[in-house]
Amino acid sequence: MDLRVIEQQDTELTIEIAGEDHTFMNVLKGALLELDDVAAATYDQNPEQSGGQTEPVLTLKTEGAKPLDCLEQGATLVDEQMNEFRTAFENAR
Amino acid sequence: MATDFDVEFIEDTEREARFLVRGITPAFANGIRRAILADVPTLSIDTVRFVENSSVLFDEVLALRMGLVPLTTPEGEFDEDDTVTLAIDVEGPATAYSGDLVSPDPQVEPADENIPLIELKDGQRLEAEAEAKLGRGRDHAKFQGGVAVGYRHLQHVEVGDDASEYGEDEAQIVRGVIEDGDELVATSEFGHDLTNRYPGKEVTVEDVPNAFVFHVESDGSMPVDELVLRAVDTLSTRADELREKVSL
Amino acid sequence: MVPVRCFTCGTVIGEHWEEFKARAANKEGDEDPAEVLDDLGLDRHCCRRMFVSHQDLVDVVSPYQ
Repeated sequence: MDLRVIEQQDTELTIEIAGEDHTFMNVLKGALLELDDVAAATYDQNPEQSGGQTEPVLTLKTEGAKPLDCLEQGATLVDEQMNEFRTAFENAR
Repeated sequence: MATDFDVEFIEDTEREARFLVRGITPAFANGIRRAILADVPTLSIDTVRFVENSSVLFDEVLALRMGLVPLTTPEGEFDEDDTVTLAIDVEGPATAYSGDLVSPDPQVEPADENIPLIELKDGQRLEAEAEAKLGRGRDHAKFQGGVAVGYRHLQHVEVGDDASEYGEDEAQIVRGVIEDGDELVATSEFGHDLTNRYPGKEVTVEDVPNAFVFHVESDGSMPVDELVLRAVDTLSTRADELREKVSL
Repeated sequence: MVPVRCFTCGTVIGEHWEEFKARAANKEGDEDPAEVLDDLGLDRHCCRRMFVSHQDLVDVVSPYQ
C-alpha cells in the first residue's frame, strides 16, 4: 500500500492508494460515509487495460474536519468492524 | 452506526458453510466475499522440474494440472517466499493421482488424493519435483481457497389471508434462506417453492435490510471457518496499514 | 484427462471422475447420470456439465507417441 496525495485543501482530499482494489476501497468508502464529519466520499478505479491511472483514487470531502484525520478514523472503523465480526463469527460456532 | 453483528450458522461442515450475518452493510459483506476469493493466501504448486515425462501430455499442461490440486495450508506457518518441494514418481501402466505427490511436510498434503493427473501407458513414466509457493486468488485461480462464495439477502416471509380459491396455482420460487417468525429455514427444505410450505395462503416475501446469508465452500486448503477468519484478517491488516501511514 | 477443477466456479471435481465413469449410463455404468452427479455432491450445473460433456482422449492419442 503506497499513498500519494494528489490534492489537499482544508476540507478536501484526493489521494491515490496504490496496490489496493475494490475489495478494500469499497469497504473503506462505506466506513467513511458512516462518519459524521464526512460530507462525501468516493473512489475511482480504472481497469488495467485502460492505461493511465489504474490505481484507485479516493476523494473525500468533510464538514470542516481535517480530511486526513477522517481517513484515519475511517481506517480505524474498518479495523474495529472487522474485529467485531471476527468475535461474532467465533462466538457463533 | 453501532455495528452489532449477529452471526448464526445454518449449515456448518468442514468444506461448506452457510451462515447468516445481521447488522452488516452491503459494502462490508462484499469486502469479505471478495477477500475470501482473492486475498487469502494458499499453497499451490507453481514451478515443476521434470526429470522424465513420457506421457501424452506436455510438461506445461501437467504442471498446470498439478498446480490446480489444492494443498492443505496451515495457518501462520509459511511466509510469502517460502516453498515446499513435493515429489512424484509413477511408472506406467498406471494412473498418476494427486495422492502420489509426496510431501516432506505432513502439514502440507494434497487435500484430495483421487484426482487423476495423467494416465500412463506401458513404458511411460512421470518423474518430477514440484515447488509449491504461497499465492493469492487474484494472481491465479489455483490459489483460490474459497469456491463459489456468495451471499443473498435474508428473506422475511409474512403469511397473509387464504389465497383466492379460483386463483392460478403458480409456484412461488424463492432461493436462499427464509425467516419465518424466529425460525430460519433453507429454501431447499421445501423445494424452493413457498406454495409447498404454505399451501393455500397468500404470502409476501421481503428482503431483510442488512441481513445477509453467506454461502462459502472451501477447496480443502483449509476449513471454511478458518478461511473466513483469514479473509477478515487480510482486510483488517490493510486497514491497520492505512491508519499507520496516514497518521505519520 | 478430466479437468481438475470446474472451469466456472473452481470446485475440485477431478476426484469424482472415475466413480462417475464407472457408474453413469452414458459412460461405462448403468445408472442415471443425473442421480450419480447428485450422489457425488455436484449440485451446480457448471460442475455437472464438466462430467457430462467430458471425453477421455488418452487412449486415442497414445498410439501416436
